[in-house]
Amino acid sequence: MSAPNDAHLLVLGWNFRTAEGAVRERVAFTSDEIKEGLKGLVDRGLVSEGVIVSTCHRSEIYGLSAGESAGEALTRFVSEWRGLDPARLAGAGFHRVGEEAARHLFRVAAGLDSMSLGESEVLGQVRKALLLAREAGATRTVLHRLFEWAVAAGKRVRAETEIGMHPLSIPAIGFELAAKVFDDLSARTILVLGAGETGRLFARHASEAGATDLRIANRTAERAVEAAAAVGGRAVPWGSVAQELGDADVVVGATSSPEAVVRREDVEAAMRRRRGRPMFFLDLAVPRDIESSVAEIYNVFLHGVNDLEEVAEENRRRRAREVPLAEAILEEELHRFLAWFGNLSVVPTVTGLRERIAQMRDAELARAPAADRERLREFADALAARLLHEPMRRLKAETDPSKKLDRVEAIRHLFDLDRE
Amino acid sequence: MDWHLLGWLAVLLYALAEVLSIVALLRPRGWGAAPAALGAALVLQFVDLEVRARALGSVPYRTLAGSMSLFGWMLGVAYLILLARHRERAIGPFLIPFVILFSTVGLLIPFRPSPPRPETQGVLFALHVTLAILGYAAFTLSFVLSLLYLIQSRQIRRARTGVLFSRLPALEVIGRMNRTAVSIGVAALLVSVALGAVWARRVWSGVGDAKLAWAVFTLLLYAFLLWKDRHGWKGQRVAVLSLVGFGLVIFSYTFVNLYFSHAHTFR
Repeated sequence: MSAPNDAHLLVLGWNFRTAEGAVRERVAFTSDEIKEGLKGLVDRGLVSEGVIVSTCHRSEIYGLSAGESAGEALTRFVSEWRGLDPARLAGAGFHRVGEEAARHLFRVAAGLDSMSLGESEVLGQVRKALLLAREAGATRTVLHRLFEWAVAAGKRVRAETEIGMHPLSIPAIGFELAAKVFDDLSARTILVLGAGETGRLFARHASEAGATDLRIANRTAERAVEAAAAVGGRAVPWGSVAQELGDADVVVGATSSPEAVVRREDVEAAMRRRRGRPMFFLDLAVPRDIESSVAEIYNVFLHGVNDLEEVAEENRRRRAREVPLAEAILEEELHRFLAWFGNLSVVPTVTGLRERIAQMRDAELARAPAADRERLREFADALAARLLHEPMRRLKAETDPSKKLDRVEAIRHLFDLDRE
Repeated sequence: MDWHLLGWLAVLLYALAEVLSIVALLRPRGWGAAPAALGAALVLQFVDLEVRARALGSVPYRTLAGSMSLFGWMLGVAYLILLARHRERAIGPFLIPFVILFSTVGLLIPFRPSPPRPETQGVLFALHVTLAILGYAAFTLSFVLSLLYLIQSRQIRRARTGVLFSRLPALEVIGRMNRTAVSIGVAALLVSVALGAVWARRVWSGVGDAKLAWAVFTLLLYAFLLWKDRHGWKGQRVAVLSLVGFGLVIFSYTFVNLYFSHAHTFR
């Protein structure tokens, strides 16, 4: 990649692959810390522009710097700031420059670098990182454009591939299966047995998916009430579970009961009351909450946690198969970004500007009487040279690489030099 | 205009619609041009049927060839209506082959125009045959929907969440579409049988015929299906019953017509 005006993109980062939790915790930044850190970086002149992406799984500092050795200075800055040994910090992190840094951000935004491949949250986190940097006054032309481009490329990947389509979480898979039995799952009665961690997780998922009739039963009634209040559901007495089955379309078993909570005869009785309308059971408890012979009853569907985990594994493979297509899209976008970035140098901009002026001159000359053309051309060239001399001298003399880029970008924009 | 050419062009367009609907099924987004190809094919086949009717001097389905073509056409129309109503594109790849099959058979069977006989003319006869064919087309639709129901049900049970799983609608939706198809089929066949009885009394002064017996048997089976669907059998058993019913329809359409019936031979 050509580095215009000696400006280099770089990224310094620590993520779930490179760094153990102890280091990652120390370099996890809050929003205020991000702004403070960025100001520090810019004020000390380590970078002319900077953006910090900080999520549960990664902390990455993107910058535009004058030299190629800014990485070490950045590491020193972070180690002083967070009170970490620089060698340990450098050993736990990674460092990329130029095209590689831009490629890394594109992959991050598209979810290709995420722990759960293809997840979409990171796209919002990248966007938020740009907003914070803008608030801190740390971005200008290049990083602003880079991050916007990365977000757009990430969106394109989500739209054109199936990388974000197949759910990976166990509740999402369970409800995906249930949604293929019932027409409109949100209008159905969902009964969650157990108000422990798993029960709450499923209840929350159902509630977020728009479930309108969510019931929670727990042996200790207070916990059911508490969990129901948290997700907008209704607590039902533990003693009436067998009765509740008659209403329930989807039943999630997630208690820590040592014996089965839902017995076959309960379900048979419920099915009689339901006049054969289907029932869908998810059993996530170990040992099982729902007698496995329930699956033999007509129109009853039952899945255990193993089934759902197999689907998750299969979905991970499905997402992985989309990676080459996603990478091809990212490369295409990356090349367009790099072409734009490469054009931000003084020389091609000056050449482009001269060409644009020559075009205007020729268009005007064509309308002039033939006899006057030679004299008019001389005049136009002299005027153009005078007009361009001072701005070009100042542009070349600018020592701050970021300011230089800003000005080049302004000229390219005002004279429409990037028109194809 | 050569009716054969038009008919084959229609089949070609059905084949194109099939390919397009398979592509639309596999792609995550976009509708593709399948409905357009299907619509164009239906128009061509209609013109073809019209040309045949003129050559015969009566409704085109008093020949086996014409009857098969009309069957294919009605199935296509029924699917287009379903497409417009439910937006369920996953049905197409499974249904259009039947349209192609019946339309092709209708083209391959020799078409011999013979002078029309008095009992194959008139509005009553036309309605009788059209409704019967509409009924059978609806039962064919139900057959395809039932197959899809069983496939989808199996995928849910085995937690196989592949392309077909994600594209096929929920079991309840397929079941509802199936109920609609069977209801239309039963209503159409019932009216057709009644009209047939009136017509037979008028032209032969008698109604006893093997075809009639089969039709009544078929009606009873589908009526039983509808009743059971409301009373506890909703689901796989109803789907299996519909498969059996379709067997009866095919038997009635082929063997009964060709070997057992006196009144329902094609002439």
